Amino acid sequence: MQTCEPRGTVGTDDCNDRARVVVLGAGPAGMTAALRLAEAGLRALVLDQARAPGGQIYRQLDRPQLDAAVMGKDYHRGRSLVGAFLDAARRGEIDYRPGTRVWWIEALDDALDDGLDDALDDGLNDGHRLGVRGHDGISRELVAERLIIATGAMERGWPFPGWQLPGVMQAGAAQILMKQGALLTEGPPVLAGNGPLLYLLAWQYLNAGCPPRMILDTAPNLGLARTLRHPLRAWRARGYLAKGARMLAALRRAGVPIVRGVQSLAAEGDQRLTGVRYRRRGDGQEHRLKTDWLLTHMGVVPEPQLPRGLGIEHHWQEAQQAFVPDRRDDLSVRPGVWLAGDGGGIGGAMNAEREGRLAAQAVLDELMADLMEKPQDTTANVKGAAAPIPDADNRRAIARESARESAALRRRRRSDLSGRRLLDALFTPPADWVERQPGETLICRCEGVSRAQLKAALEAGPAGPNQLKAFTRCGMGPCQGRLCGTNVSRLMASEQGRDMDEVGYYRIRPPLTSITLGELAGLGQTQDRASNPPPA
Amino acid sequence: MFKRHKRATATPEVTITIDGAPYQVPSTLSVAAAVLMHQGAAGYRRHAAGGHRAPLCMMGVCHDCLITIDEAPNRQGCLVTVEQGMRVRRQIDEAAATATRWVTTTHAGGDDGGERDDADL
Repeated sequence: MQTCEPRGTVGTDDCNDRARVVVLGAGPAGMTAALRLAEAGLRALVLDQARAPGGQIYRQLDRPQLDAAVMGKDYHRGRSLVGAFLDAARRGEIDYRPGTRVWWIEALDDALDDGLDDALDDGLNDGHRLGVRGHDGISRELVAERLIIATGAMERGWPFPGWQLPGVMQAGAAQILMKQGALLTEGPPVLAGNGPLLYLLAWQYLNAGCPPRMILDTAPNLGLARTLRHPLRAWRARGYLAKGARMLAALRRAGVPIVRGVQSLAAEGDQRLTGVRYRRRGDGQEHRLKTDWLLTHMGVVPEPQLPRGLGIEHHWQEAQQAFVPDRRDDLSVRPGVWLAGDGGGIGGAMNAEREGRLAAQAVLDELMADLMEKPQDTTANVKGAAAPIPDADNRRAIARESARESAALRRRRRSDLSGRRLLDALFTPPADWVERQPGETLICRCEGVSRAQLKAALEAGPAGPNQLKAFTRCGMGPCQGRLCGTNVSRLMASEQGRDMDEVGYYRIRPPLTSITLGELAGLGQTQDRASNPPPA
Repeated sequence: MFKRHKRATATPEVTITIDGAPYQVPSTLSVAAAVLMHQGAAGYRRHAAGGHRAPLCMMGVCHDCLITIDEAPNRQGCLVTVEQGMRVRRQIDEAAATATRWVTTTHAGGDDGGERDDADL
């Protein structure tokens, strides 16, 4: 059986229950990390929720549905990475498990088992235990000696009245449909919000011969003045800015109306979207527009579940309007765990690849240090790809080479990220958007909790988001608070006059993804599909 | 509804049924994408509160793509790829909507160090 075929689960006979290095996610960061480890002869176990590698950005590049003339070069650029990853998996150099999900994770700590409360601070890596559900719904547990989290980003939950209506979708969802099956809305969509992805999607729709009906942009019109306030950043971001300018020019030439300074937005309809209402800053008038499709975007944020589930500290980043996990320079978040790519703060695909490589090098550096100390422990290398043990001179040479490459990667990362800060500034979501929404707006889509219900519950003075959750069920549904979490913290911060770090976020505990009782019951057992219904 | 672009790469198709009716769809699609292509967003599923919902994110976050696949209810349609002969049923009647039960993060407490677990089973 080929390594890249979707198989039952991890933990079956052909896979150890203990893995040297586990990479979570097969997007640009995860793929690059696994490839770097494979270069060094280390066969990483890669667990990914999707059925094919690429993450969101390089989705479906194993069989692209639309060419670069429609999707753009940046998407097709990922083909070589996806190809290299799949080739390495076929050769057995990467143990790739598509269609798998990690639904719990915990640090193993010998000291913790002895009941010492502060054991997690002992600075030692004793590995992590993961609960992994295979694509057939059967769960297994697995110990990861070292872990690279590369679970990427998701679109920000952006509430406004009617955003729960069929016909309203996130721009990323529309782009996924293009990538997956060259699918476009029947009839031109209205696009609303802000951020590079909104304009990329508009441009891709235009290239496909279906220009958007209108773009409702919520950003204040700052333009060049703001850009040039940081000339160095502007210079470093020139690639992004040039791309953006080309897309805007193409949209203008095609006559796509771009309405700036949009201050309020509402979706109208009964069982589906029939139109939108919006107001612009200044003119005070309400505008109405009929449309079947409203594609929204308000930037992307780090996918919180795994880092939160591990108890990684987060801090509020005003510029990104997001909680971002605390990382050290080498991208580690705790002993034995590294966080690479957009899951550690939004930096884009190129940056994610760089970070994936950096994290893999940090892992290799640690393994090399172990090797120097006790070479006998590492002679039995990872199954299927035993690397020759280098002699002392070679080890020093490898360490020097690795340090040189890491330093170069870090320099490029710093420069690129400093350019991206300019994008953050140009595309900052309106900080008070959620507070400004009318009472009927659903904040929690899953449990149907409105802005007004939250406001009432906030008057009872809950201590934090978790208590508010207990009062209202907000965040208790199957999305596990991912679409409402930050918005709830925001409402609480503004209502109680506290800052975001003080308010914090929901406490995330297992299961980290939705799971059925049957799967829970089937942990570690072999069950057929009939007796163990697939996931919810 | 969603339409397939005329310059799309030639891709093998599979036949699935949606609410009993057969449809040919590209084999690269997720179940949610196949339903959006042939049935559109309206009537995709009913929320427990009564209103209609359709997929928002298509990437496993929102759970508004929940659908019955081969008799198994509440599967995330955006994460399941279509397969030949797959039977897809939309959950638009009230019984299906209210039968939704989750094992999810339903833990409250923790703001003040106190712990309280609500099992939502």
